[in-house]
Amino acid sequence: MLNILSFFEETATTIDWGKVGISVAIAGGIALVLGLLIIGISRLCQVKEDPRINEVNDLLAGANCGACGYAGCAGFAKALVEGKADISACGQTSKANVIEIGNILGISVSGNTEETIAVVACAGGNLCADKYQYQGYGNCVSQQLLAGGKKACETGCMGAGSCVDVCPYTAIEVRDGYAHVDPDLCRSCGLCIQTCPKSLIKRVPKSAKVYVACSTNCRGKDVMNKCKAGCISCGICEKNCPTGAIHLVNNVPIIDYSKCTNCGLCLEKCPRKIIRYVHPDKQ
Amino acid sequence: MDIIGIIIAGLFSQNFVLVQFLGICPFLGVSKKIDNAVGMGLAVTFVMVITCLVTYPLYQYVLVPLGLDYLQIIVFILVIASLVQMLEMILKKFMPGLYSAMGIYLPLVTTNCAIMGVAKIITDATVYTNIGTAVMYGLFSGLGFTLAIVLLAGMREKLDKLNLPKALRGFPITLIVACFMAMAFSVFSLVKF
Repeated sequence: MLNILSFFEETATTIDWGKVGISVAIAGGIALVLGLLIIGISRLCQVKEDPRINEVNDLLAGANCGACGYAGCAGFAKALVEGKADISACGQTSKANVIEIGNILGISVSGNTEETIAVVACAGGNLCADKYQYQGYGNCVSQQLLAGGKKACETGCMGAGSCVDVCPYTAIEVRDGYAHVDPDLCRSCGLCIQTCPKSLIKRVPKSAKVYVACSTNCRGKDVMNKCKAGCISCGICEKNCPTGAIHLVNNVPIIDYSKCTNCGLCLEKCPRKIIRYVHPDKQ
Repeated sequence: MDIIGIIIAGLFSQNFVLVQFLGICPFLGVSKKIDNAVGMGLAVTFVMVITCLVTYPLYQYVLVPLGLDYLQIIVFILVIASLVQMLEMILKKFMPGLYSAMGIYLPLVTTNCAIMGVAKIITDATVYTNIGTAVMYGLFSGLGFTLAIVLLAGMREKLDKLNLPKALRGFPITLIVACFMAMAFSVFSLVKF
């Protein structure tokens, strides 16, 4: 203890207080000048930001998932206010908030506010033939680079789970060799839609009862050769639909959900059972 | 040191990341995508030039005559951080395009050790005899940093597609790749001008 005290006494006498003063004055002076300069420049260079950006940002879902293509919700809010983005690019913001944002921006959003969920438009999986055996990194995106993936069908789910990896809500799982979306967990953020290298994942209205689980554009005979599950373009669904909501386009049925009455007749009549329930648990 | 010597030193033989091991954290942190790496590299180059332009005269004409050269680090931190802050505000107002390209990286760069390193090297080393050579060294050191980070980002984009053992995925393989890059660049330090 005594040693320490004597050390301080010795050093105290050797400190050159004049030098300390100059150091403090110089460092403090530079800091003061720079501080004043910063204040001045921030006054001069003030950028006026639109107050609506903050209001819109508060109403967005705030998940910062990036599915809209912007760096987080703040970037999306800025693009919305500038009119560069469309509110329908965000699938997560609640319907009430979307209408509120529409009011702030003075745009009509009525057409886009129906809640949607994602479905996988392929039910081939293990029933679809492979054209080669893939032994690389287990990821659809890398498999796609090798001759368009292992499936014989151009639009067949490879089941390697790139969509499973990106889904923030663990709503997707691969069963029977193809991806399934859990309709209760899906919040329609759209990350899987962007990731799937074959663009097999699509949005359907949450209220819809049925969807077409095939994306092929081949003729029925070609599908028969490759896949035991795929659509064979027989047109029975189109003939049986009472409201004319189903039409074959490029050899695959397309459902117009604005006309669909959820009768379920197409699902019953389909010989390949490729029209399926969106909510299988609730049937 | 002639101009070609400074260019070679900045880009290769005294490369900030791969030979002097300064500025490693942005080198590993912002090198996932080439676009981000280019933005970060440009921001570092920009701040390095500004740093050399300001710290060299400040040290030679203010601190050394007053005998306060031991204050250099604290004064440099002050000056660099505030200057970058001011430039950021000026850029935001007058050059929004440039600001959106590298604005988010500027605050990350200010207190980086590569920036402090360049300020310390140009003031301590005796070869930089005037402000022109000092600024040249800052410019080419920044470009050397950009070169290193863009090369690594290009390799990391490819590495993501490989089927690596699980223990090596992500940062471990990045560190191994960076190590090989450093070994390759260390050969340049044998070049003498």
